[in-house]
Amino acid sequence: MKNKIKIERAVHSFTQDELAQKIHVSRQTIHAIEAGKYVPSTVLALRMARLFQKPVEEIFELEQEDL
Amino acid sequence: MFMKLLLPHRWKNIGWTVLGVGVLLSVAPFLFHTDLNLTAPVFAMVHDPVLGKTGYFSVVRTDISFTLTGVLFLTGALLVAFSKEKNEDEYISSLRLSSLLWAVLVNYLLLLFAFLFIYGIDFLMVMTYNMFTVLLIFIIRFNYVMLRNKSLPHEK
Repeated sequence: MKNKIKIERAVHSFTQDELAQKIHVSRQTIHAIEAGKYVPSTVLALRMARLFQKPVEEIFELEQEDL
Repeated sequence: MFMKLLLPHRWKNIGWTVLGVGVLLSVAPFLFHTDLNLTAPVFAMVHDPVLGKTGYFSVVRTDISFTLTGVLFLTGALLVAFSKEKNEDEYISSLRLSSLLWAVLVNYLLLLFAFLFIYGIDFLMVMTYNMFTVLLIFIIRFNYVMLRNKSLPHEK
């Protein structure tokens, strides 16, 4: 799964720490999601979408291997 | 679901202290070439002395140094292993779970190795250590993974 967290973070000019605090997770979690090492839960994905005011599908995208 | 089994973070430091005392007490006899030699009356569900009859549900006087170090070690290690991190979240829970899988696998691979290549009385030592190794390997692995994650650079 691909995600645009890093881009959204840049758009809103949040650091990893700030984003982590806003959605109540650790900075390591943001780092792992951005690096594609961790796929967040639906709850966390929805929380991010709400923060960035975008539908989840615009932030997270399935890749060929996920189909 | 996994998180429900965890204690609050403050128990982790208490666990490290108890574990430390347990390790010190179990290492001390080797360092100072003395035995702890603590005997005390204990309630034994089963007591099987080298010479004599097996007793059940009775109070017996016996050496409790192994009991003491074992209980301290296990209590400490359980507290360390089952306490939340300061910022325990879903990713850390997943690291916790994968570390546990890793620890169980490595533990049993080591045991398999010992089964194949260690014979005689020394195998009893393997069994003794093996009682503690799953927890120990888990604690080492999880803390290593956490440390590696904490040292990641802060990205803007």
